Formats: sequence, C-alpha cells, structure tokens
Amino acid sequence: MTQPDRGDRTTRNATALAAAIARLGVQCSLEVRGGLALLLPVTSSVEALQAPDTRRAVLALAREHGFTHVAIELPSDRRGAGRETDAPLLRD
Amino acid sequence: MEVPSATLPPIMDIDATAFSDPILAGKEADLASWLSARAPVAIGFSGGVDSAYLAVAARLALGPDRVLAIIGRSPSYPEAQWAAAREVARSFDVPVLELDTAELDDPRYAANPSNRCYFCKTELWSRVVPVARERGFGTVADGTNADDLSDWRPGAQAGREHGVASPLAELGFTKQHIRDASKRLELPTWQQPSSPCLSSRLPYGIEVTPARLKQIERAESALRALGIAGDLRVRYHEDLARVELAADELPRWLEPRRFDALRDALVATGFERVSLDLRGFRSGSLNVLHGVGA
Repeated sequence: MTQPDRGDRTTRNATALAAAIARLGVQCSLEVRGGLALLLPVTSSVEALQAPDTRRAVLALAREHGFTHVAIELPSDRRGAGRETDAPLLRD
Repeated sequence: MEVPSATLPPIMDIDATAFSDPILAGKEADLASWLSARAPVAIGFSGGVDSAYLAVAARLALGPDRVLAIIGRSPSYPEAQWAAAREVARSFDVPVLELDTAELDDPRYAANPSNRCYFCKTELWSRVVPVARERGFGTVADGTNADDLSDWRPGAQAGREHGVASPLAELGFTKQHIRDASKRLELPTWQQPSSPCLSSRLPYGIEVTPARLKQIERAESALRALGIAGDLRVRYHEDLARVELAADELPRWLEPRRFDALRDALVATGFERVSLDLRGFRSGSLNVLHGVGA
C-alpha cells in the first residue's frame, strides 16, 4: 500500500515498512502522516527501541521506504499492552 | 631545554589571546575592524547565540554610545528568550531598545507558507531600520552566520532588501566560531541551544495563531521543567506533539516511566497525543518533512 500525501515527492510504502520493522522484533501498529511514520509499539517492544542499533535500523528502513521522519507514540492507556500482534496493524 | 620556573613571566602578564585559536582571534579582530569602520551600529537582537555575541562584540569594540541592540517582540518570540536577551544586555552593558512587531497580523505570514520567514523579517526590519536611522545608526546588522548561508533562510532576502548587514556571515564566522568566541567572552549563551522562533514548530500550511504559539511555548517550557537539556523542539502536528530531543537525551526518555512524565506534561498543555522522534533533534526538521531546501 502506498500513501500519497500533500507535497509528496516520493512513494511511501507503509505496509512494507511495518513488515520490515516487525522483522526487527518490534511489534507495532503504524500510522502514516505524510512523510512521518508514527509507530505505536506494544509495550514489550518499547524496550527494543531503547537500543541505539534498533533505532538506527528502524530509521534506515523508514528512509528506504520513503519516510523522512519516524516517531514513537506510547499512549497513556498503553495501547497494545498485552496485545502481541502477529502482523503489523496499519492506520491512516 | 627546560626553563627554570623563576624565569617564566607571572601568569597574570600572559596575554590570554595567545592561548586562543589564531584563526578565531583573527576573525575577532576582523569583526572589531568591521564594526569600527561602520559605527554607530544597531543590531537586531534576539538574545540567541549569534546576535548576543555580535551585540557584545560591538559593545566591546565601540563603547556604549555607538551600539544599540534592538529587540522585536511578538507572540512568536518566546518569553524565556526575551528574558535571556535582557539579561545578556544588562550583564554586558549593551544599550537595548524594544519594539513590538506584528507579523501575525500579516495574512501572508499567518498562512505559514514555506517562505514565512520572509514576511516575518520584512515586518521586523521595516520597523527596526527606520527607528535605528532616526537615532543616527547608519548601519543595521543581524546575527546571520556563515553556516546559515547554506540553509533555507528566506528571511535573509528581507534583510538584504532593507540594507541589513550580516558581518558574522561576511567574515566567515561559523556557529562553532561564535560559540568559541562567546565562551572566551564568558557569554552565558555560548552553549545555549539554537533558538528559532516558535512558528518554526508548525508545519508549513498550518496557520500560525497566537494560541498555537502559546501552546508550543508552554509545552517546551514544561519539558525544560522536567530537566530536559540541550536542543529541544515540540513540533506541532495538530492533535499530535512530536518531540525532538538531543541525541544524548533521547534514550532515557524512551524509558516508559519517563515517557509517561513527558506525555503527561504535554497533554496538560493541550496536545491529545505525544510522540518522540526516533532520530532526535535536527535543525530544519519540518523543511525536510516538506521537501523544502535551499
């Protein structure tokens, strides 16, 4: 799935990005906001993102898939806590 | 050959500049000459790293009667920076004049196009330059540095249109040169993070309003109150705040309990959702997001 947006100069592939991030062991849903990929990880995956190598890998994957920015949201209700997904959930 | 210590000059007689970077010392001398040749000089003064250094260098080179630091105040100018600017001026005996500017009243600015800064600086210089000239200051200068020349800076055009000089850029002062020179002068701004106006936190096309600027200012103040040091931006994505932190700050704020504190602080300022940018702070982040460049 590609996500064109205002001012787009690139083709972004959110589905492929979410799958690639999942292969790093980071389970999350992914919300696309233009060039920003917003990750909503399950609680158990937050720790993985504390590792610099994992963050670098996520950033590199995001660039490969056409995103300029990646952010992580950790809502107060711990959205996704205890909900270990087998496949990434996409939202837009 | 080892010199007996008794033959060394007393430490207080040693010229401190002998220990400084000779390239920087040369630039400082060039700046003093530039200022002396064009005095009296009025300076657009925000209290940021660059304009604070320029104002103090001018005060030292020209004395108090031939320099005037002019502050343009508006909702896009953070209160904390205004206070810092006044403190620098007070500490270094730099004469200050404050003017109100009204860039938000210009619909071309408020619409937040990618050349928004042009309209802001047009408003600033159209107020500052006539006042400076009326007071006998034939030269008006700003703190643009050599690094800025390679960045997307539409505001620089407005400066040129109003005859504003940029001696730091002209003389090849990079940001690091300015920080080093500021440290030597014991300016409190020497390690201060860069501090562009609050409107820079809004993506292009999102209207600039006083309420949004105030929300951003409160959000960044709240994060400073949590102890976040260094570069910090709260990027405004309507319901979502995207926080950019310095690279060395980022890991500890990804720890869930700290992230909770960060999120709670920003929700209290009106954001519904809070996120942390995984790359951390980068100058011109929203230019990258919109594919805008020099």
